[in-house]
Amino acid sequence: MRRLVGPLWVAIVVVVAAAGCTSSPSGTSPNATFKNGPATLNLLAGSELKDMLPILNDARKATGVSVNLTYVGSLDGAEQIAAGSTADAAWFGSDKYIGLAGASTKILAREKIALSPVVLGVRADVAQQLGWSSGKASWKDIVAAVDAGKLTFAMTNPTVSNSGFSALVSVASALAGGEALSANTIDSVGLKKFLSGNQLTAGSSGFLVDAFVAAQDRIPAMVNYESVLVSLNESGRLKSKLMLVYPTEGIVTADYPLMLLNSDKREAYDKLTAYLTRPDVQSAVQRLTARRAVAPGVAADPRLPTSLLVEASFPANIEVTRLLLDQYQSELRRPANTVYVLDTSGSMGAPGRLDAMQAAMKGLAGADDSLSGTFTRFSPRENVTVVSFATDVKDVQSWKITSSDPNSPELTDLRSHIDGLTADGRTAIYSALNRGYDAALEAAKADPQAATSIVLMTDGENNEGIQPSEFINRMTNRPGSEKDIRIFTIRFGEANPAELQQIADITGGKVFDGRSGSLSQVFKEIRGYQ
Amino acid sequence: MLTLGLAAFLLLAVIVVVVVSNRGGESNAAVVVVRGVIGSEKKPFFDDQRVKDAFRKAGFDVKVDTAGSRQIATTVDLSKYDFAFPAGTPQAQKIKTDRKAKTVYVPFSTPMAIASFEPIAKILQSAGVAQDNGGWWSFDMAKFIDLVGKDTRWKDIVGNTDYPANKQVLITSTDVTTSNSAAMYASIASYLLNGSNVVASVAQAQAVAPAVAPLFGRQGYTEQSSEAPFDDYLSIGAGKTPIVMIYESQFVARALAKDGSIKPGMVLMYPTPTIISKHSLVPLTPNGDAIGQLLSTDPTLQGLAVQFGFRTADPDAFAKVVKAAGVSTAPSFVDVVEPPTMDNLDALIDAIANEMKSASVTTAASTSTSNATTNATTQP
Repeated sequence: MRRLVGPLWVAIVVVVAAAGCTSSPSGTSPNATFKNGPATLNLLAGSELKDMLPILNDARKATGVSVNLTYVGSLDGAEQIAAGSTADAAWFGSDKYIGLAGASTKILAREKIALSPVVLGVRADVAQQLGWSSGKASWKDIVAAVDAGKLTFAMTNPTVSNSGFSALVSVASALAGGEALSANTIDSVGLKKFLSGNQLTAGSSGFLVDAFVAAQDRIPAMVNYESVLVSLNESGRLKSKLMLVYPTEGIVTADYPLMLLNSDKREAYDKLTAYLTRPDVQSAVQRLTARRAVAPGVAADPRLPTSLLVEASFPANIEVTRLLLDQYQSELRRPANTVYVLDTSGSMGAPGRLDAMQAAMKGLAGADDSLSGTFTRFSPRENVTVVSFATDVKDVQSWKITSSDPNSPELTDLRSHIDGLTADGRTAIYSALNRGYDAALEAAKADPQAATSIVLMTDGENNEGIQPSEFINRMTNRPGSEKDIRIFTIRFGEANPAELQQIADITGGKVFDGRSGSLSQVFKEIRGYQ
Repeated sequence: MLTLGLAAFLLLAVIVVVVVSNRGGESNAAVVVVRGVIGSEKKPFFDDQRVKDAFRKAGFDVKVDTAGSRQIATTVDLSKYDFAFPAGTPQAQKIKTDRKAKTVYVPFSTPMAIASFEPIAKILQSAGVAQDNGGWWSFDMAKFIDLVGKDTRWKDIVGNTDYPANKQVLITSTDVTTSNSAAMYASIASYLLNGSNVVASVAQAQAVAPAVAPLFGRQGYTEQSSEAPFDDYLSIGAGKTPIVMIYESQFVARALAKDGSIKPGMVLMYPTPTIISKHSLVPLTPNGDAIGQLLSTDPTLQGLAVQFGFRTADPDAFAKVVKAAGVSTAPSFVDVVEPPTMDNLDALIDAIANEMKSASVTTAASTSTSNATTNATTQP
């Protein structure tokens, strides 16, 4: 070792003889510096960032940089970036999906804008029963409460949504002994117990809130961002407020990185990030959204606790994260009964209809090899039923999925069944939906632990069989236990939007628009809700 | 012709902009735009208006992009830049060789440091790792590596009531494969594990890697560049980063800025041994060379460098400034080691990365194999 005594920070100055080398203005200076293009940033953003619009509006006034937001899910956005999105920048709760999609090299700059840990909100009475009134509980306590049948909760699907993903990582790392997860420390027994309590799911944190509000009598807790839970408590939409529990082993904090994709927009990007991280603006973000300030020197928000929040370690390797999500789909999550009620009437014969629907279904049945394709594939312990209809129900068939290998007998058979569908006849939507509902109930009775849901895709108006009013009548007259099945409807072609909305609303489902964009994308998006 | 016309127009536009932007400036000479790629830890310095003004006074408008210091030496396309300014000597030497640069400027330097919080430092003191020297702390790297080797958890340290986390005791660092500060951390550890000798061969690098790798692998996910974990330290705090490997300059700059980010109870610890990170500017064009000279010799820029927490050729300047601001820093360093040469540092980092990867891939592969077996046996 070199032992040096005394001040050592003597900087070494290497003097060189190349003096007076300033060149003409054109010299080596790139033209890009003087680019005077319009200061507009097209942004891919998570839908929960809608609440930043007032701040972005102020940013435009202060900096001249205007921002156009296109809302996409974290996984979807990451895949778009990997495929070479033309967006100038991206803004999500985390950049972890971008790493998963292998798109990290597309990120030219990154600036964290705000912080929000993913925690558990528990209805105050239930928190008291469980002894968590102080807000202190461990993930292990939470798993034990679920296992004892004392707690169920809402949480987004970790394969597509960052809040569910963050919670899954926190729980997995807590069960692994509090260290960064590795492939051989995933405690699948413990995780399965935890996820058995996930009685309500969604593909986005925002929709989960709406679904939770509707189900608040039945489900007493929700995993979500601290900011979402605090805002929900202030919204007046809850009969009883949620107590926020910050699990002691560690939580994962979303840091909302604003990421530059287009080098030509660096100047606008720099201006916007400089504005958003200004202490007064950070203070405003904190007040408006209940996300924590990331810039130092901003006073804490009294609504957000300043006590020590231990951060869980994130897996070092993408392979481990990927393995955790693959295991989530194939063995950890609740089993699923999924019923597809598919319109194969004559009108579906129009170009881009039946073939698009067949491609979408076959994608889920193993034909889609992309990252989102594998995360949304029909998975082991899932029971898939297809009800095809026109003038009447044409066919009802079910497949028990035992493997996510695209060449498995059941997925191969399911794809060839879809290939065999033809378009002819009139449209008996509600007779078919009724039949689908019976099939779903039957499956739910056979496996009460499973998550059961229905997808209805139609391109026309009902002109055969029972009327929508009669279907709704039958639905509402069913005993309570039979009403928990959500119906997700896909608006396509000339389908009646009001009717589809009504069906989705009374079952706690959601309408998806299949008219613009890719039908496959919609079928994949719905997987996050099943 | 069209391209020529466009080029002529752009040139004209450049001149117009230059003239306009010079109006009211101190100099009437044409301003030359110079582009550099720098380690992210120096971005606040280059963004500062006083620094911009000092460059402008000399006739330059310096535009910088940031990248990890190791990326600057390996993957960044340097053809777009007039200078490269990584945080360490090994990277600068590599760029100098690769790009056949004539020289390297070292306008300022900063020692590696560990940012922490007083209660955490006291816990480490009772574990025999840290020692209070009156405001600034020393951090015994050899004893710390022993703790990590024993898989010590924070809550297991006797007398620890302030930080009862079940997490392993680890220094938060950046990604060892991309960032200089992590590479310097690995260099210090490898020195100790190599019998107090700088790693001087590929064989030595491979021999110490298995013991160095856990310092990084156990952290889980690490960030690419040195600003990110320090930002977490400032904004999230002890919950995420109880101890974080930084450049001393990062902490001092924040303290001198008096922006409220350094709160009471935040302390600087210095690893023993330590490495002095010599911020090294490699000129790639004559304009880049001029920037290197200015940074090294211009009194205003040297003075501003101190304001940004760097130690310059004048040690008294730094001492005076930190004292006036009430920041406790180490006055001198006894145990200082050199990093390995870029080749040996590369070998060390590759070996560490391989250790980390092979551990995870083997286990991942064996887990999925066992899954496949289970599926096969349960299928009818």
